[in-house]
Amino acid sequence: MNLWLIPTLPLIGAAVNGLFGRRMPRMAINAVAVLSVVASFLLALNVFNNLGDQPIVERYFTWIASGALTIPVEFAVDRLTMVMLLIVTGIGSLIHVYAVGYMAHEGGYYRFFSYLNLFMFFMLVLVLANNYLLLFVGWEGVGLCSYLLIGFYFLENWATSAGNKAFIVNRIGDFGFMLAMLLMFNQFGSLDIPVVLEGAKALPVEHSAGMLTAIGLLLLVGAAGKSAQIPLYVWLPDAMAGPTPVSALIHAATMVTAGVYVVARSSAIFTHAPIAMDTVAIIGLATAVMAALIGVLQNDIKKVFAYSTVSQLGYMFLALGVGAFSAGIYHVMTHAFFKALLFLGAGSVIHALEGEQDIRNMGGLRSKIPITFVTLMAAGLAIAGFPYTSGYFSKDEILLAAHHHSPWMFWVGVFTAGLTAFYVFRCLLLTFFGEYRGHAHHPPHESPPVMWIPLAILAVLSLGGGFIAIPHYLEPVLGHAGQAHDPTLVIIATSAGLIGIAIAAWMYLIAPGVPDAIARTFKGLYNFVYNKFYVDEAYNAAVIQPVIEGSRIFLWRGVDAGLIDGIVNGVGKRSRGLGGILRLAQSGNIRNYAAWVVMGSILVIVFLGFSGGAK
Amino acid sequence: MLDTFFFYAFALLTVAGAALAVTMRSAVHCAVWLIASLLGTAGLFLMQQAEFLFAAQIVLYVGGIMVLFLFVIMLVNLEAAARERQMRKRWPIALAGVLLLAAGLARSLEEGIRLPAPRPAPEAAAGNVQQIATVLFGEYLLPFEVASVLLLVAIVGAIVMAQREDAR
Amino acid sequence: MYDKFIPTAADYVRFAPEILLTVFGTLIMLIEAGRKEDQRRPYGILSLIALAGAIYLAFPAYNNAGPAFQGMLIVDGFGTFFRVLCYVAAALAVLCSGQYLSREKADSGEYYSLILFSVVGQGVMVTANELLMVFIGLEISSIATYVLAGFLRDDQRNNESALKYFLLGSFATAFLLYGIAWIYGLTGSTDLSLIRAALGSANPPNVILTGTAAALMFVGLAFKVSAFPFQIWTPDVYQGAPAPVSAFMSAGPKAAAFAILVRIFMTAFEPIAARWEPILWVTALATMVVGNFAALAQVNIKRLLAYSSIAHAGYILVAITAQSQIGISAVMFYLAAYTFMNVGAFAAVTHLAGKDEKYVNIEDLAGLGQRQPVTAALLSVFLLSLIGVPLTGGFFGKFYIFKAALDSNLVWLTVLGLLNSAVAAYYYLRVLVVMYMQDASAEVPAPKPVSGGILVALVGSAVATVILGVFPSVILNFAGKSGTLNP
Repeated sequence: MNLWLIPTLPLIGAAVNGLFGRRMPRMAINAVAVLSVVASFLLALNVFNNLGDQPIVERYFTWIASGALTIPVEFAVDRLTMVMLLIVTGIGSLIHVYAVGYMAHEGGYYRFFSYLNLFMFFMLVLVLANNYLLLFVGWEGVGLCSYLLIGFYFLENWATSAGNKAFIVNRIGDFGFMLAMLLMFNQFGSLDIPVVLEGAKALPVEHSAGMLTAIGLLLLVGAAGKSAQIPLYVWLPDAMAGPTPVSALIHAATMVTAGVYVVARSSAIFTHAPIAMDTVAIIGLATAVMAALIGVLQNDIKKVFAYSTVSQLGYMFLALGVGAFSAGIYHVMTHAFFKALLFLGAGSVIHALEGEQDIRNMGGLRSKIPITFVTLMAAGLAIAGFPYTSGYFSKDEILLAAHHHSPWMFWVGVFTAGLTAFYVFRCLLLTFFGEYRGHAHHPPHESPPVMWIPLAILAVLSLGGGFIAIPHYLEPVLGHAGQAHDPTLVIIATSAGLIGIAIAAWMYLIAPGVPDAIARTFKGLYNFVYNKFYVDEAYNAAVIQPVIEGSRIFLWRGVDAGLIDGIVNGVGKRSRGLGGILRLAQSGNIRNYAAWVVMGSILVIVFLGFSGGAK
Repeated sequence: MLDTFFFYAFALLTVAGAALAVTMRSAVHCAVWLIASLLGTAGLFLMQQAEFLFAAQIVLYVGGIMVLFLFVIMLVNLEAAARERQMRKRWPIALAGVLLLAAGLARSLEEGIRLPAPRPAPEAAAGNVQQIATVLFGEYLLPFEVASVLLLVAIVGAIVMAQREDAR
Repeated sequence: MYDKFIPTAADYVRFAPEILLTVFGTLIMLIEAGRKEDQRRPYGILSLIALAGAIYLAFPAYNNAGPAFQGMLIVDGFGTFFRVLCYVAAALAVLCSGQYLSREKADSGEYYSLILFSVVGQGVMVTANELLMVFIGLEISSIATYVLAGFLRDDQRNNESALKYFLLGSFATAFLLYGIAWIYGLTGSTDLSLIRAALGSANPPNVILTGTAAALMFVGLAFKVSAFPFQIWTPDVYQGAPAPVSAFMSAGPKAAAFAILVRIFMTAFEPIAARWEPILWVTALATMVVGNFAALAQVNIKRLLAYSSIAHAGYILVAITAQSQIGISAVMFYLAAYTFMNVGAFAAVTHLAGKDEKYVNIEDLAGLGQRQPVTAALLSVFLLSLIGVPLTGGFFGKFYIFKAALDSNLVWLTVLGLLNSAVAAYYYLRVLVVMYMQDASAEVPAPKPVSGGILVALVGSAVATVILGVFPSVILNFAGKSGTLNP
């Protein structure tokens, strides 16, 4: 099947644009970037046609062979990978097309597309990898590309600090992933995904913490870093500093779902470690609620959708945690449709308003950019779970599974669904209805076809994509997870969404004074939520400042006296000649240093001397 | 009996000389006490019937190196150095360190007392110098030869450090 | 009786690389002495020829593996690996030096002779099977390095660097020598195999005295590898020394010191491993923490790299703490990867520092991504590898080290070590950010395009770094085979 071609084509695209892009005409850059991804998509479709129940495995070469450690470079496609492959290449193609229009007026054009293609390469390696180490290569690679793309507007300082934040938080996640890999290797003697999973299945279910629980929890740390779950979600909203197509592709549709993919891929480990499973569910649910609450009061259109992404990712984790792995992947797909559309539509709005992102300065755009309006409304209905849109199917699947696992999770999930519908429609209504409140110099204009055609395609998928029966398709891999269809629960879940939409319509169309009145009445609570529960501030005070300042004060002043100080204070110009050298030896630093050496030696000697007796 | 007396006499010279060499203020005095300490060590070598080491110690260290030291000290004005404070404020920390080490060593010594009684020094079958030659040019030939590279490096280093920029 | 005075041909074959280097080192000085004022200085080329020859000769020596010169040396896979690594590190340093020395108007034969002699010392160290050889090799390597650190005599920073290094280094060597004396007194031998036999025998010498001897030797060697609390000299010396010398110091002498640390503690002191393991555990952790956290506050890139080198020494100590064959292989692999990425980073600094090393602050790299895409890209490869991003040698190095640690049940050391390496990303990343995401400052003139020896060193190191990440088996197989130190 030549699976290797699927990631390699974007890599070639990245290389061509990166190395020669500076001297290439724009049309050529576009062609290389877009066609390489579209070709990958076509190849993926070809694989789809040939894929039966059994996975396709292709082995290319032995990467590492040293003693006990044997790691081949292998790609494998089963149905789970197939779904991810189609999402990544399909949505990726649409977003590449859109980016051609969106980035038309930006500098560093070739660099942007080179990074974007490179991202596709790593993402495809991630989903195709048949062992955890190769998966980790993709995992780190997408993180790196995300970092490069967030910082793309690099002359603006907030872009680089957001990029930094993303990278550091992801490093913490990677720490978990790496430790999980080491433990897997220790336990199963291999990092091949099938071998590890077979090994996990052979072990008994751990009702108290054990090795599988440890591996599962560490994988969760990694997944929480990449998929922006509590407590590592803080980077994702800031990551919206990058260009909008990047937000859509990386921070909504693909990369952030990598954590979901890895947990689903490792489902055998999690099903044998109920403690880890429950942790996944609780973290997912908590993230879903918290991010939805924050989303209610955001005013930056991209921030609203960013928190909505965090919240929806929480839903996916909830699905995984309650054992509905296929529902989680189902939601990955539908979310990819409607969230990519929301971001691209937001981009179209921002494009039309010359960079304005604050929804308080929008309004009444319905008639000025009608295509964007229609498509965004479609996405809004899908995310709100309006009957028979894509979100309706996947969200119900998750909520039913949650009810089956423990009913309170269902009720919290329903509440979140209502919140979601409310804040998404709040944002859309403020943007498209009412009077225009902005100050753009030119009247808002509709985006060119290169941008709105992808929007239209995504709108169709958002509305109709739910009819693709993903859970059924995934049964050979993830088992049968469908719950008995309970009409009552479905009606409850759906009406929560409808009620959310209705409240939004009431507060922002019919009685526009209400939101302010509520804000005034619950001022403390309002501020608490408005400031995102002060999580960033808390992290800054509890983690970042102590580490940086502690290093500066304790280690720099304490351990490191500094050469510069020595030159300035101690020696001056008199260090030439023997007398100068002897004087230098007398100056503070060397004595102090020698004292360090002596003290250290005393400790070592005394320790070894004492411990010597106590055999 | 006489051996014991000489051992303690040389040992005292060695230790006291070393202590005074690091505590005296004047650099010349330090050097003189260092010579005393080296002489004490030479005496200890002699008591172990290591005549060659004894001679080498006197000729090389006392005769050669220390004389050079004294020349350098006299050529260089060290008044500034002599005025520097000898003790820093942090002496309590140093004292604590020394006590800790002393405690550790005391423990080692306590164990050491239980060692088997020291054997008498082996009777020299042939002359001491001849034995050293046999070992040095037989088993330890390579270290002996490689040490010449060490000396070469030291000489090159000394030249590099001493050479002045304007001399070139 | 006299037949042992005559070395055999095999002895010479096993020692041939060092002999060649000594000959060339001397030759360079002779040429310098006879050189007319207007003649060219061919020392760089001669040094490279010598090092290439030494690498070439290391292979016949390996094919004739075995002890040489009455058991003074032992040529085995482990020794050969480090021998070649030290030669390669020196070759990279030589490549960086030519342009640097002519920029500073300090081109002279002694510099190259000293580098070659220093490598001789390292070669002796890593193949030594005898504590006296260890000591002599260490001294040759160290004295040459002390002088190199202060090679630009009119530069304050060089003076201070050399002096600190010399005084503290001699101090530390005294500890090592004292430890050797203790061991000789306790076991009656300086031969590593015989010491091991004596310590492991049914009637071993007093354990407390042995422990003290081991402690003294550990202090001496820990100083050379800049392990906490003996790392104190490293930042000052690396910052003050000429940049190519810092590159050299941070690779060759350090690798050799690690090699001998492993050899002594895993052979001679192996019977008392249970007692030195806690020391190594604490040292490894403290070294990682001090290196990584102190690096967070640095503004000077040479100093940053110095702290980073301390942190990396900590990771390597983790592998030694594991005390296993895979641990030793991990040490070997990591040092190979470390040599390339670290020398590469210093090579980039050498190029960018400008005359008199005026521009060695991280801020001075602003806008490098625009001004010099090639240098910036190559430096990024090294930084990413230092962070430990997959597909670079640094990643696999860390992976093996922590795998070895986990295999030996050092769970907490593994966890804390991995957390440390997560922190480390921050300060390397800062350099990347400055290079690519800040505007060039008008006060810093645009550096000249990189060329000549430095370019070769940079590209060579970058290629090696990536190859070690993509095809680690190249080195790993050899390291796996040589991880058994049979005394």
